Amino acid sequence: MADTLTDKTSARPWRAPRLSLRRREAIEAWLFVSPTVAGFLVFFLGPLLAVMYFSLTEWNLLTQEATFVGVKNYVDALSVNPDFWHVLRNSFVFAIGLVPLNMTLALTLALALSRPFRGVVFFRTVFFAPVVTSAVAWAIVWRFLLQGEAGAVNQLLASVGIDGPNWLREPDWAMVAVIVTRVIKMVGLNMILYIAALQAIPRDYEAAARLEGASNWQIFRMVIWPLLAPTTLVIFVITMIGSFKVFDHIYLMTGGGPENGTLVLAFYIYEQGFKFFNVGYASALAMIMFVIVLVLTVIQMTLRRKDMR
Amino acid sequence: MTSLTLRNLKKSFGSTEVIKGVDLQVHDGEFVVFVGPSGCGKSTLLRMIAGLEDITAGELYIGDRLVNEVQAAQRGVAMVFQSYALYPHLAVKDNMAFGLKVRKVPAEERERRVQDAAASLKLEALLGRYPRELSGGQRQRVAIGRAIVGNPQVFLFDEPLSNLDAELRVHMRSEIAALHKRLGNTMIYVTHDQIEAMTLADRIVVLREGRIEQVGSPRELYERPANLFVAQFIGSPRMNVLPAASVEKSLSARGLDIGSAEGVGMRPEHISVVEAGSGLLRGAVTLREYTGATTLLHVALEGGETALVVHNGQNMPEAGEDVGLEIAREHMHLFDSQGQAIRPLARAG
Amino acid sequence: MTLTTRQARLVSRTCLIIALSVVAVPFVFPFLWMVSSGFKSATEIFGQPSLIPRVWRWQNYLELLEYQPFARQYFNSLYIAVAVTVLTLAISSLAGYALARMRFAGAGLLMLFLLSALMVPEEVTIIPNFFLIRSMGLMDTHAPLILLPVFGSHGVMATFLMRQYFLAIPKELEEAGRMDGLSRFGIWWRIALPMSRPALAAVSIITFLFSWNLFLEPLVFISSLEKFTLPLALSNFTDSYGLPLWHLQLAATSLAVVPILIVYLIAQRQIIESFALSGVKG
Ligand SMILES: Nc1ncnc2c1ncn2[C@@H]1O[C@H](COP(=O)(O)OP(=O)(O)OP(=O)(O)O)[C@@H](O)[C@H]1O
Ligand SMILES: [Mg+2]
Repeated sequence: MADTLTDKTSARPWRAPRLSLRRREAIEAWLFVSPTVAGFLVFFLGPLLAVMYFSLTEWNLLTQEATFVGVKNYVDALSVNPDFWHVLRNSFVFAIGLVPLNMTLALTLALALSRPFRGVVFFRTVFFAPVVTSAVAWAIVWRFLLQGEAGAVNQLLASVGIDGPNWLREPDWAMVAVIVTRVIKMVGLNMILYIAALQAIPRDYEAAARLEGASNWQIFRMVIWPLLAPTTLVIFVITMIGSFKVFDHIYLMTGGGPENGTLVLAFYIYEQGFKFFNVGYASALAMIMFVIVLVLTVIQMTLRRKDMR
Repeated sequence: MTSLTLRNLKKSFGSTEVIKGVDLQVHDGEFVVFVGPSGCGKSTLLRMIAGLEDITAGELYIGDRLVNEVQAAQRGVAMVFQSYALYPHLAVKDNMAFGLKVRKVPAEERERRVQDAAASLKLEALLGRYPRELSGGQRQRVAIGRAIVGNPQVFLFDEPLSNLDAELRVHMRSEIAALHKRLGNTMIYVTHDQIEAMTLADRIVVLREGRIEQVGSPRELYERPANLFVAQFIGSPRMNVLPAASVEKSLSARGLDIGSAEGVGMRPEHISVVEAGSGLLRGAVTLREYTGATTLLHVALEGGETALVVHNGQNMPEAGEDVGLEIAREHMHLFDSQGQAIRPLARAG
Repeated sequence: MTLTTRQARLVSRTCLIIALSVVAVPFVFPFLWMVSSGFKSATEIFGQPSLIPRVWRWQNYLELLEYQPFARQYFNSLYIAVAVTVLTLAISSLAGYALARMRFAGAGLLMLFLLSALMVPEEVTIIPNFFLIRSMGLMDTHAPLILLPVFGSHGVMATFLMRQYFLAIPKELEEAGRMDGLSRFGIWWRIALPMSRPALAAVSIITFLFSWNLFLEPLVFISSLEKFTLPLALSNFTDSYGLPLWHLQLAATSLAVVPILIVYLIAQRQIIESFALSGVKG
């Protein structure tokens, strides 16, 4: 009878294996992660260190040489170049306009769509559809819809007697337009996350509160909203970071204009780096963006840890 | 020729030592059962033998081969898991053949072995099904079948019956016993269930906090427990242990000397109820639990302790009634201050 | 007249549906308008607005093929998205498995490093990556459009998603595999992967769409028309004054968006769930 469970060497005197099982597991594990680690080093950590260094240099386009200039680029950004604060202000206006609008709408839709009724799947599908659509296509279509007089939106407004502005040509309205269209594009994602969180709340809580005579608003305020807090935190940070890195949407809808009214940080980095080849300055901007994102992430992690306790 | 030798085996997870030096010799063809309270390291020890946990210190031999650093699959052991661990994406047949396939056993040979195992476990009709389409007992049989097809030298079972209902458990227990008789392999079996341990084992290993408390046949463990822990762990309901002082006087009245013993153990099933005022111990019945064949009496003794008594049939005392309790000399277990057994009960000089 | 509970519920439900329908307008309308305008002539587009074109101009679709190598660009996007998806699946599930199941020195540190990569936008590293790609001689090739997403924060997100899923597979199943003689690689390939189909599907869906919709990287790395990907091509329909050729641009956009929408409508449940899974992680 063949002893298939025993290795074929068992007849021979047994030799100690070269590696202990433990060592072997560790080596195998590193093999498993090696593509990821290699990619991480080459395309993320290396570039991250490089951008830190670049931000301290000035780049000569003709000789392609970098000269070390210390914190000059940061000084330029923070106190010399008037564009920077304008851009930063735009980014914050964009974020502060977008995040509450997005989250309120997402939560409202989620509350309406977290319980089954006829048509719930239809509405979920509709509200999520822009998420799977490319940002480029979305921006192109909305730019078309938001043209001055000929645009469909203004024609629609005209039919009810409203004289719509030339949305993308007036700085303030342009900001409103990019925020609102971006919210419509992305709100489905947060809605889905909220729906998942709502559906994870045991219905007993609500039933118990209702038996005690709580109104719908009280139930939301005192039961549902607190239970959603972790989700709200995650959504807040994801949406915030997402709004700081918005690029394609702006690039295609307004190109940063009019009068730099929608020139946001990500776009400014692109423009300085790839249009004007101010590599050092652009790198300093990138570092500033990195720090903003880092701070947001750290805030989230600290809050979340507190939340766990 | 597949004995197992465990020599001062140790296992630590990080800084906590879980197995604290186990020496054990398992003979060829023997059925050994590991028992012990939850968390004492039964599963860990079994998994060390299987090769699923690495060995921190000590030596493990299967046959005369040192296997500390041999991969699980090359140790010649098969394991039946508590959750059965059947691959959900494979049909029963493929589940059973999987190991053979990995080992590159030719297809006809594979087929033949799976058919044989299926026949012996009455699984033929189920070969095409998926695990989710099977009942608990059927899954259990497939798990055993999967272990059989590789012709392992040693079978390892980790609480294989604990997910089954009581009736099925009794049935599968007898099937495992039959399997052992038929195959004659060495088997190591972990369980919580005393009856399983007593009925299946050639020898039982009682573990506690990573150490062996006693190794012996079921009868040895029941009749001559080496210490208080084993005495109370084996047998159900558990053994009464009374302080020596509470029985010393009545014993010496009969010319029996308990010497240095600190505790006296008496199994509930060995105690009989006698008339109030007579017997070795006196007390009053506080509670009667009728279980069908027998009744469990809780007796509050004069000294303040409570003794359990398994009473069958005649002269059922009422709750609150005073009773006397009697036990034969050979059924008394004496323990010293360390909880170690002292025997035999000596007749006073 | 007071309403019965039943009637009250009916009324509130109707109000809800009306409200939702109103909100839905700006979500649906752009798609309808895009498709319809893609069939209009350049002049009709600016005429009296109507959802149904007066004349259905199928020529738009022929013209856009003449304007730039749109079929080729379409194919570029398709094959790049497939490549990114396959590579991401392979690499993230390998790493995710090791992080979920294997013990090795440095695992904790690696997790921390990867987590940090998860949050950082690609805008931060795009400048050095530009020089890196240029020094590798890969400018105006598709390589950076494959490499950067696979190894960037999206790949890391996929890795964590896979890890999370692997963690939920019962350990005993893998141990049974070890007892059956599988190597680590074998356990990954023959047990962990077949049991992770939902996670693999989720990663596939979001990765495909991520690559399909990628814009910054093509913009930075690609310069020749026939190497463009769809998003780049869509943004490129302008006349000699740099003004958009709306009818062609919207026809092309419809071509890019409608197939995705159709797949989305068919598999909406699965697709939405995939995003939910990745969002909870991220
Ligand atoms: N992977 C691990 N890491 C850390 N500690 C562990 C690990 N596995 C087991 N332990 C600890 O080792 C001890 C023994 O565990 P083991 O599973 O062997 O107990 P057991 O006797 O099988 O218990 P049970 O009867 O409940 O199955 C327990 O205290 C457990 O917490
Ligand atoms: Mg156990």
